[in-house]
Amino acid sequence: MTTTDTQISSPNKMAAPDNLLEVNGLKKHFPIVKGVFSAAQGNVKAVDDVSFHIRKGETVGLVGESGCGKTTVGRCIVRAYPVTDGTMRYRMRDDSVIDLAAVPEKELSPFRRDIRMIFQDPYSSLNPRMTIFEAVSEVLRVNNLCSPSEMQDRVSSLLRRVGLRPEYMQRYPHAFSGGERQRIVVARALITNPRLVVCDEAVSALDVSIRAQILNLLEELQADFDLTYLFISHDLSVIRHICDRVVVMYVGKVVEVADALDLYSRPRHPYTEALLSAVPLADPRGREQRKHIHLQGEIADPANPPQGCYFHPRCKFAQQICREQTPELRVLDKKRQVACHFAEAIQLNGVIS
Amino acid sequence: MNSQNLLMDVKDLRIFFFTDEGVVKAVNGVNMQIYRGRTLCLVGESGCGKSVACRAFLNIIRSPGRIVTGEMKYYRQTNGSMADVVDIAKLDPRGKQIRQIRGKEISMIFQEPMTSLSMMHTIGDQIIETILLHNKVTKAEARKRAIEMLDRVGMPKPDRIVDEYPFRLSGGMRQRAMIAMALSCNPSLLIADEPTTALDVTTQAQIVDLIRDLQKQFNMSVLYITHDLGVVAEVADDVAVMYLGKIVEFGDVEIIFHHPKHPYTQALLRSIPKISREREELDPIQGMVPSPFRRPTGCQFHPRCTQAMEKCRQIEPRITQVGENHAVQCLLYETL
Repeated sequence: MTTTDTQISSPNKMAAPDNLLEVNGLKKHFPIVKGVFSAAQGNVKAVDDVSFHIRKGETVGLVGESGCGKTTVGRCIVRAYPVTDGTMRYRMRDDSVIDLAAVPEKELSPFRRDIRMIFQDPYSSLNPRMTIFEAVSEVLRVNNLCSPSEMQDRVSSLLRRVGLRPEYMQRYPHAFSGGERQRIVVARALITNPRLVVCDEAVSALDVSIRAQILNLLEELQADFDLTYLFISHDLSVIRHICDRVVVMYVGKVVEVADALDLYSRPRHPYTEALLSAVPLADPRGREQRKHIHLQGEIADPANPPQGCYFHPRCKFAQQICREQTPELRVLDKKRQVACHFAEAIQLNGVIS
Repeated sequence: MNSQNLLMDVKDLRIFFFTDEGVVKAVNGVNMQIYRGRTLCLVGESGCGKSVACRAFLNIIRSPGRIVTGEMKYYRQTNGSMADVVDIAKLDPRGKQIRQIRGKEISMIFQEPMTSLSMMHTIGDQIIETILLHNKVTKAEARKRAIEMLDRVGMPKPDRIVDEYPFRLSGGMRQRAMIAMALSCNPSLLIADEPTTALDVTTQAQIVDLIRDLQKQFNMSVLYITHDLGVVAEVADDVAVMYLGKIVEFGDVEIIFHHPKHPYTQALLRSIPKISREREELDPIQGMVPSPFRRPTGCQFHPRCTQAMEKCRQIEPRITQVGENHAVQCLLYETL
């Protein structure tokens, strides 16, 4: 079940039969260019050796603070960028396995239908000059996927499914509120019958009451259309609500992977513990007892990360080995992976008792 | 809470925006009290008027907005126990008196620390400007005080940071600089408008803790504007829940979270995802916030309310006191 074992297996096999996507050793480095001749001056290691897997039908959360590379991972999976290194094995509808990282740019279009993305800001992700019908059906039109009359039917039934009135599909985005726009964005993502949807902060810009509506909608659609979600968010309460498993990232690396409840009740990486302790809980009772862990210093610079464990300058458990050796993401027990030299030795507190 | 500890008493505050498309009643009859040394949280969804209301405390409502009616009595602490009462709503926004209060006795920190700090001036210059404006001190003394303030807000190497420009600092550091500036004149009321919304959770926790610690040290009142109920539960003593320009419920934090009366407060609490062992269903509020030009009649919440009655369409609810320090505006609790 562990993704780390798959490195030895053949490229067209998955480690587990129900895995939809296996990301292995994914790296994405952006060159820092300077001067007239754009000479490379080193790299920003936005994603640096990330491995995790997503099973069919589950929701995996990808959490971390801004700049940790979670969005870049999402964009690599939809192949918005070419990846620097690593594999992304994806199981096709016919059960064959293909490495998304190795697919040439020109042959990507079938995968772009299969793997879709929902963005954070419904105000900037819709073209103001396109009607709702045009925006939702664009991918069908561009790829000649169906006839115009069928397109009309498909768009209107999907709009109805996401809670919008199909009569309004000739209107422009400005006529809709933030929540409605996010429903349009959801409809646009689902119009191609995708199997994997990458939700990048899909509810972060929404108000409390609208956020709950969209979260419920995403859950219903998952059941209806058999969807698998990769849910990228910095909001740990939303992640707890919607995710089965959670991947925690810090400065381009995965520090912990676990089932949601296990992670929240017993984190095994000091960074996860600090992150959880900082989440404001919506209950004033017992707030005097709750202590936020204040991490020292600032997040490491991904262009110039520290030696050894990237987290060691801020970690209260750091020892000599942490300054020298970068910990591998290793299997702790059958449901948990962690990248810490002392995961067994340290006692950490969660937020669910 | 006795009236001696009252710092600010807002009565029937109405702020309207006279736009070309019509009048937007952004704040439409707000009543609230802020007590000395306590934290009041103003919560509500976007467009409910919470930011406009708090800008009124400094009398910085931008045109075409205007304070139409209402009073904001501010009980100034003068050197004696005798309090001097000023009605901020009546002051000339450009007058001398409000300028003495603004930034000195009542100061404010904003959501986006990058846009509210000047990028052409060093952090130090911006803090020193505030200090020089309100105190009779020399430049050197002001600089010393600025460094001291930066130290108190937990800035590492304050004597170096003082000469840095804002773009050299991270988001959390900038917010600390903002707080240092806001507190440099020992205010009696600090208004924090979504101070942590743009920040990461770990930074948010640090800023929340910092404001709480400084509040104790400076013995000031804090008015916290936020849409995040998690933050409210962490910092508030009192909570005011706002919907479409009105405060629909006011009470202390324990009551609001565990015995809310107003259907909107109840619905809001049911619609937030909680971190708990059992995964709970979210129960969202139906519909959406109506357009500012087409506000519903009667109780503003009735089109989205699950307990709406026939009379809610016509009758505007009044403030009903349902307990000590607990008031609600809902016909369910009005005894006619």
